[in-house]
Amino acid sequence: MTLKPTRPLLAAPIALAAAVALVGCATAGDAGTDAAEETTDATVSFSWDRNIAGEDEDPEYEATTVEVPVDPETIVVFDIASLDTIGALGGDVAGAPLENVPGYLEGYLSDDAFNAGTLFEADLIEIESHQPDLIVIGGRSAGLWEDLNEIAPTVDLSLTGGFLETLERNTTFLGEVLGAEDEAAAAIVELEAGIAQAQAVTAEAGSGLGVMVTGGELRALAPAAGEGAREARGGLIYDVFGVAPVVDDITAATHGEPVSFEFLLEHDPDVLWVVDRDAATGAEDAQPAAEVLDNEIVQQTTAYADDRIVYLDPVAWYIVFGGIDTTQLMIDDVLAIAE
Amino acid sequence: MTALAPATSTPARIRPRRTWAGVLIGVALPVLAVASLFIGVSEVSPAALLEGGPDGDAASLLLLSRVPRTVSAVLVGASLAIAGLIMQMLVRNRFVEPGTTGVTEFATLGMLVSLVLWPGMPVFGKMGVAAIFGLVGTWVFLRVIRQVPVRQLVLVPLVGIMLGGIVGAVTAFVAYRLDLLQSLSQWSLGSFATIMQGRYEYVWIAAVMVVVAWVAADRFSVIGLGEEFAVNLGLDYRRVVAIGMVVIAVITAAVLVTAGMIPFLGLVVPNIVSLIIGDNVRRSIPWVAGLGAVFVLACDILARTLRFPYEIPLGVVVGIVGAGLFLWLLLRRGSRAH
Repeated sequence: MTLKPTRPLLAAPIALAAAVALVGCATAGDAGTDAAEETTDATVSFSWDRNIAGEDEDPEYEATTVEVPVDPETIVVFDIASLDTIGALGGDVAGAPLENVPGYLEGYLSDDAFNAGTLFEADLIEIESHQPDLIVIGGRSAGLWEDLNEIAPTVDLSLTGGFLETLERNTTFLGEVLGAEDEAAAAIVELEAGIAQAQAVTAEAGSGLGVMVTGGELRALAPAAGEGAREARGGLIYDVFGVAPVVDDITAATHGEPVSFEFLLEHDPDVLWVVDRDAATGAEDAQPAAEVLDNEIVQQTTAYADDRIVYLDPVAWYIVFGGIDTTQLMIDDVLAIAE
Repeated sequence: MTALAPATSTPARIRPRRTWAGVLIGVALPVLAVASLFIGVSEVSPAALLEGGPDGDAASLLLLSRVPRTVSAVLVGASLAIAGLIMQMLVRNRFVEPGTTGVTEFATLGMLVSLVLWPGMPVFGKMGVAAIFGLVGTWVFLRVIRQVPVRQLVLVPLVGIMLGGIVGAVTAFVAYRLDLLQSLSQWSLGSFATIMQGRYEYVWIAAVMVVVAWVAADRFSVIGLGEEFAVNLGLDYRRVVAIGMVVIAVITAAVLVTAGMIPFLGLVVPNIVSLIIGDNVRRSIPWVAGLGAVFVLACDILARTLRFPYEIPLGVVVGIVGAGLFLWLLLRRGSRAH
């Protein structure tokens, strides 16, 4: 109910006033949907440290709590990983940045889903006109909170702490919201088992190096080493799936460190994990990374000789990374080398 | 600097400086080129080459990776500097180069268009599209400049930068809508990191353009004296301008597809050379080419070694060094005017 728990004295009268207003609405509203409204009165609260500083400034956090209605009817989602989880738990999403929804998650959108903007920008007018009950943001859209929370309760499900903690926190929370606690718990157990299985495979596979290929250039990905959040996506292959990095001093950076082909040859990882950034965002059938890596220097590497150059699902690893189905895709990508 | 007869004082004052600069370029070029061959992540030393070893790894890496990288640094540096020189002659302004006249931005737009419309297009085709766009860019710039009533020294590059800004904005918008912004910034930020055999050969086309420029050098010198003067001398003004435009566009496109954008080079190098030996194009072409090559080689070696074994994008290094040199040139000119 309260956005700033630091002001309990103010909050009490506001809550009272809100309650009076609600009662007023309920009596004035149509009586036929009383039963449904009964259930929507229940809420789940979600708390997180919200970054109130601008994008390029030093982060400044404010503890924020939002009460979210249980079983919301109209959900708008900017965080694709949450779209994935909501869908996998049986909910459906009324609005999302449609251009960024990957094919394998399109089924989780309702049939008449509207375009809510892009991963970075919200179409506020369009969203307002659909009167959502819940808005979920995260990662690239985290800065939209203030605008969106004026329209409907808005929660930020960005990565905080580790990937697994966030996955568990978000899945549990969305399970409660959707009334699918059991499914959420089962999904968490299954994903954790899958990740453990993947870790067992990578432990056998020797050293590895994650590279991102974009614009014809190579970038070495780094373990996040507890950095979390934005840095994590490059490091997931090491941090979550247990790949032993072939070099351990790569500075954690969102898009990795530029390297040459000679770098690959010299450090010669047993497995080369490739995120093809241009395939994630550009032409859907293109595989530019394979072209870039198809050369005589790469052909001298152990990974090439052992056929251990693994092309990871770029959408899953670079755009979505998180969510129930996506995590399963990532697990399958890693398990593929065991066959 | 011994005292000489007053009549020959001017050339005498210039000559020692010329010799000195010439020797410096002549020594630095081979030294840097050899250094470039032996600097890198893998062990490729003269000793390793002599041993040969059972696998001959060093020799194969030298051919696969080091020679292409060194050759492209030399050719990119030489040709971009020449493109700047020709541009300066065509426009009769010391502050222009493909990067300050919108040509690079047009060529980049061409790259993006070919990337989006024909994703599977071979690199040669992409370069062709980029060159055509670059040619259009040069033409548009020359047209616009003709319409500018007052040809102030600073106004010309300002118009060019504005033109480039507009085209750059269009490119950025298209890339933004298609989620290609990051790829765009990646390949427009110059770098030789992934240069190797099979990925650099197009710079030879730029080298051919340097030869063309050399052959037509005297004509560019005359063009630099103005259209009326050139026509009075019986020169086919339009044809020479057309040759210049093609040279500039093709060099820009070839460099763009192999290395990306390299700022300031075409601006700084011809200006330094002009300070040393004057404006005769035939005489200055080898100097401009040599100094351009030295400049890029040195910057590329820095890019490789500053954060070894990782790389700093070459565009960043050239940008910092080039901006510093440019500032020095400006301040120097200012002080001379007083």
